[in-house]
Amino acid sequence: MDNMLDKLKVLSDAAKYDVSCATSGVNRQNSGKIGSASSMGICHSWSSDGRCISLLKVLFTNKCVYDCQYCVNRRTADVQRASFEPEELADLVIEFYRRNYIEGLFLSSAVEVSPDYTTERIIRAIRILREIHGFAGYIHAKIVPGVSPELVNQVGLLADRLSINIELPTTKSLELLAPQKKMAAIVTPMKQITETILDRRQLSGVSYGNGGGYGNGSDYGAAYSSANSKGSYGGFTNLSDNGFLIRETGDEFPQGLKQQIQSRSGYKEKFAPAGQSTQMIIGATPESDRRIIKTSESLYKTFKMKRVYFSAYIPVGNVASGLLPSAMTAVPLRRENRLYQADWLMRFYKFTADEIIDEANPFLDLEVDPKMSWALRNLKHFPMEINKVSYEELLRIPGVGTTSAMRIIRQRRLSTIKFDDLKKLGVVVKRAQYFLTCCGKYYGGVAQDPFLIRQKLLPPENQMSMFSETMPTRTVGNRNLENPQSVVDANGNLQIGDGGRHG
Amino acid sequence: MEIFKLETVVAMVDYIYDGTFEGLLTCVHTNYYGERANGIYPEADYQVSILTEFYKIVTDEEKAHAVYSGIRTKISEEALERVYRVHLSSHKEKENIILSYLRLGFKKGGCISSMHAHPVVLAMQDLDRKVSFEKVRLLGLVRFSEINGVLFCSIEPDHDVLELMADHFADRYKNEAFTIFDKRRKKAIFCHAGKWYIAAVDPEIIPDFEKEERFYQDLWKVYFENIAIKERTNPRCQKRCMPVRYWKNLTEIGIMETK
Ligand code: SF4
Repeated sequence: MDNMLDKLKVLSDAAKYDVSCATSGVNRQNSGKIGSASSMGICHSWSSDGRCISLLKVLFTNKCVYDCQYCVNRRTADVQRASFEPEELADLVIEFYRRNYIEGLFLSSAVEVSPDYTTERIIRAIRILREIHGFAGYIHAKIVPGVSPELVNQVGLLADRLSINIELPTTKSLELLAPQKKMAAIVTPMKQITETILDRRQLSGVSYGNGGGYGNGSDYGAAYSSANSKGSYGGFTNLSDNGFLIRETGDEFPQGLKQQIQSRSGYKEKFAPAGQSTQMIIGATPESDRRIIKTSESLYKTFKMKRVYFSAYIPVGNVASGLLPSAMTAVPLRRENRLYQADWLMRFYKFTADEIIDEANPFLDLEVDPKMSWALRNLKHFPMEINKVSYEELLRIPGVGTTSAMRIIRQRRLSTIKFDDLKKLGVVVKRAQYFLTCCGKYYGGVAQDPFLIRQKLLPPENQMSMFSETMPTRTVGNRNLENPQSVVDANGNLQIGDGGRHG
Repeated sequence: MEIFKLETVVAMVDYIYDGTFEGLLTCVHTNYYGERANGIYPEADYQVSILTEFYKIVTDEEKAHAVYSGIRTKISEEALERVYRVHLSSHKEKENIILSYLRLGFKKGGCISSMHAHPVVLAMQDLDRKVSFEKVRLLGLVRFSEINGVLFCSIEPDHDVLELMADHFADRYKNEAFTIFDKRRKKAIFCHAGKWYIAAVDPEIIPDFEKEERFYQDLWKVYFENIAIKERTNPRCQKRCMPVRYWKNLTEIGIMETK
């Protein structure tokens, strides 16, 4: 296949199931010839499925020697095959980038010939980008399981972010569905990446957790405020001019407004400065939400992952194997959404996996979000007095997000907060009212009873059915069934009752 | 918008000014050292009424500088930046919101940034957020086309965010020559080798770049259509993230409409 248009069609189509499109986690001025990276994560477009398009997400090749059952590119699948040449891919990235179509490249690949062969081709493409084109933009490169450590190292020195997909939550499922992929082959490079990053941090005197922790500037919310304070404006109108020239570069303006984003010498000296992420397929195998969340918690802890992405399984027309849900099975979008919410609670609200989901109820409540669900199970902690409790406690109140909690803390120093102020502070009062008091008064209007509060929270049609004994607990009305990307965009901007900035 | 009016109206005097940031700061200066303003409006939009007198405030660099550094030292750097960005918003009462904010700030000092529940602070915060948000959004949503080695694009932002976008692209494309044209306000950023200026522009001189360079535009459209997962189609979400009013300047959308 020679035609670029056809190649791009095949290789983007094959890459679309990879969820990550984030460019967050690294700030870099143009230290090469073209390109920069912004930790606020710039979205360039949104495709018709509502997902943000930030990176050119393509496979280097979809010619695969493996036969993972859940994958459209598996060896036995009957699909068109194509491969890029390293040079032509590099050109494509630069030309797209110059037109501001994209923020960078997300390069993944099937396993052509062998993991090492494939990775060497990938390295060639990104080396051309970095070294010949002087590209200083964002590159996310996929590590193929089983690749040799020297190659992982080389990719890490060229790319901003690395990822190896864990694919499935348990070794058993992996063995069943992706027999050629061994858990060890996945985990070994993950470990190598984590260790290399930690080593380099120590060498450069930066302790982990200082700029490395997840949630540190890596979400859209935080990015938002830094965008506010970056102040990239030019300066005073040139009054002496005839009115033609309005402003120009670096017009006299105070230093503070010209805060330079950290620039590094050389376009990129660090090993994977944006860290590593991974992805898990949801709904292809029978694991419970608890299993999935526990697995992702340990991935965060063990490998200091920046993100663990979930991807709702979309049937690939491979029912013959009998191992996978049939093509008629609905894509578990809501479940995926709830998992992202749970993930968010772990990353930004200091919830543990065990708090979010216990053994007794191993699946997430599909009717209310995990934070609300936790609050309803733990009414003993509520109502909390908004004028007294700590920041951490405020974060436990449904409808209070990180932004609104911060505002409450600051506002409290100046004056007592009244119930009417809550909305202005960004609290989603509709949800929060059952869990707080203001100056000792409770405004919820119903008793502190999980059932009664749940009644109030659900839309009318569900309230009716709540009384019906026959209603299965996990039935969901079709309300708000959004693409999870609308709730969690690729930059991890998710809103669980955080009316702070976006709601 | 009662709250943004003066607490005690001495005389009903409106100020009109040239619409520049310095002009606005001059108005603030006059408000403190001359007669207090009932309202401040750009001259271009002002509706003369028989009930209200108005003064035309002439922009004065020195007075503007005095207010400028006053905001910085007596309130905060943050407040100064905020005032600047709010001034770029297209809100009809932005000058009066800014004036109320500065009055409050000169009284209370730097702590106004924590007074989130105060209606004036809230209004400022809100406008600031809108302007900043649109800027960030547009950093992603502009599409350049290449003509003879120069990159061109058009935008039609709700707020006057053009200059807020300049440094980002000047750095990113430091070896390129490019122009970002604000069709609505008839001005453009001209940037070459990392240096930029903004100038008023006659729309006539902007080339019709939409028809150029089919090759990359087609590749981009193909990518755009292929990357969507059809089982997850969600146009509502797409439109919420990327409002339709921006679509006419997006390369990738064209083909979908004409198909
Ligand atoms: S290795 Fe497995 S998941 Fe990757 S492309 Fe090949 S078949 Fe698909």
